[in-house]
Amino acid sequence: MSDQHILSAYDRDLESIQAMIMKMGGQVEAAIRDAVRALETRDSDLAMKVRVGDRAIDELEQLINEQTARIIALRSPTAVDLRVVLSVMKISANLERCGDFAKNISKRTGVLLESPPIESTAATVRRMARQTELMLKDALDAYIHRDPQLAESVIDRDVDVDQMYNTLFRELLTHMMEDPRHITACMHLHFIAKNIERIGDRVTNIAEQTVYMVTGELPTEKRAKADHTATETIDFGA
Amino acid sequence: MNDMTLLERGVQTDDIKISARNVEVFYGDTHAIKNVNVEIQDKTVTAFIGPSGCGKSTFLRCINRMNDTIDICRVKGDILLDGEDIYDPKVDPVQLRAKVGMVFQKPNPFPKSIYDNVAYGPKIHGLARNKAELDEIVERALRRGAIWDEVKDRLHSPGTGLSGGQQQRLCIARAVATEPEVLLMDEPCSALDPIATAQVEELIDELRQDYSVVIVTHSMQQAARVSQKTAFFHLGTLVEYGATDRIFTSPEDPRTESYITGRIG
Repeated sequence: MSDQHILSAYDRDLESIQAMIMKMGGQVEAAIRDAVRALETRDSDLAMKVRVGDRAIDELEQLINEQTARIIALRSPTAVDLRVVLSVMKISANLERCGDFAKNISKRTGVLLESPPIESTAATVRRMARQTELMLKDALDAYIHRDPQLAESVIDRDVDVDQMYNTLFRELLTHMMEDPRHITACMHLHFIAKNIERIGDRVTNIAEQTVYMVTGELPTEKRAKADHTATETIDFGA
Repeated sequence: MNDMTLLERGVQTDDIKISARNVEVFYGDTHAIKNVNVEIQDKTVTAFIGPSGCGKSTFLRCINRMNDTIDICRVKGDILLDGEDIYDPKVDPVQLRAKVGMVFQKPNPFPKSIYDNVAYGPKIHGLARNKAELDEIVERALRRGAIWDEVKDRLHSPGTGLSGGQQQRLCIARAVATEPEVLLMDEPCSALDPIATAQVEELIDELRQDYSVVIVTHSMQQAARVSQKTAFFHLGTLVEYGATDRIFTSPEDPRTESYITGRIG
């Protein structure tokens, strides 16, 4: 199949929304990286920069929505073109949400800076963040190179993020039980970890959309829900 | 995805109405249709799409032996209607065409009254015993053609005096007057404006309750709107045949994809 439409303006329309996705992806990558670095280095200025920068991501999403609506109205896309337009809409919504999570991490960083750091958890948060950043990078690469294998590998790697989150959850519980003065910081750290975990889920959605766009089918759910952390309780009597 | 309108679009029956096997058509030395095999379902709208000269109209015309009227045209292979070979020497093509009606690209009412346009077929096939029965048949056909309300007070004025969209619906009424089982439509809307097109499309969707409808169209959006099954023809071969929603979201053959997305093939 040729890559080019008989109507070349149609090609330009489709290229432009995909270019916007890549631009938005770059901004979200930077937001996550900066949010986590601000937390690590206790840098309140950098955290503030992430919070302010989220507006640009939201505006880009709005622009993408307008452009995709216009393409649907004017071009009536079908087959692969339709899948491109649909995936652009869904990916931009997921990226926007990732941007919100980065913003929320930065907000909580502001509060965390007011109390002493909880050292042992930093490494796990850093590893989690690193993993999701790499997943996002690969998900965007898979999208632009139309590579469903790479996208599938991103989906498979989300389980690692979930495991790190569950480990951290237990660590934080232990800290809070040891010393109630840590509760405020631990709660914020927990939400930060949860945000990173949610980013992993959103990146998985992006990778799934890439598989759909290329193959016309969503990947099948392979992963079993084996972890029970979400339903765990603590026995204070022990 | 469980939206009612999408469910309604689903094919309601698996009964095969028309079955074509190894069909080949030649116009003199030109090999117009190459080994086409297709099974067309009953109570379903099937759309034939493809670029000009791909053979979709030629194939459509094989289904009621309209190609018999072209001297240099030869048809090989089998086309079965309800399991019976329509090219069998015992089959009377006139009777066949009463069962397999046809509507053409340009509305072509007879230069007669609206009433006579519709009554002509039932009369020559002896479907009415008296005037009252004929009146009934005409009214039923005009209602089914979704034009009754517009013409009931002027049944004896000439059919050619109607607007283009009305003329086309009159032709559809004329085609259904002989109680056909299959309705073939060769670009029925290409000479109509968008409103008349929408009326004809609505009519096609209603006709699907009773008939197997096969429509040739150059408008892919029309194929997507009215049909449940789509067949893509290219250079005389049937490239891909399947559920319309699948063809328009994830076609299997790259040639189908190129054509429906408007790319250079």
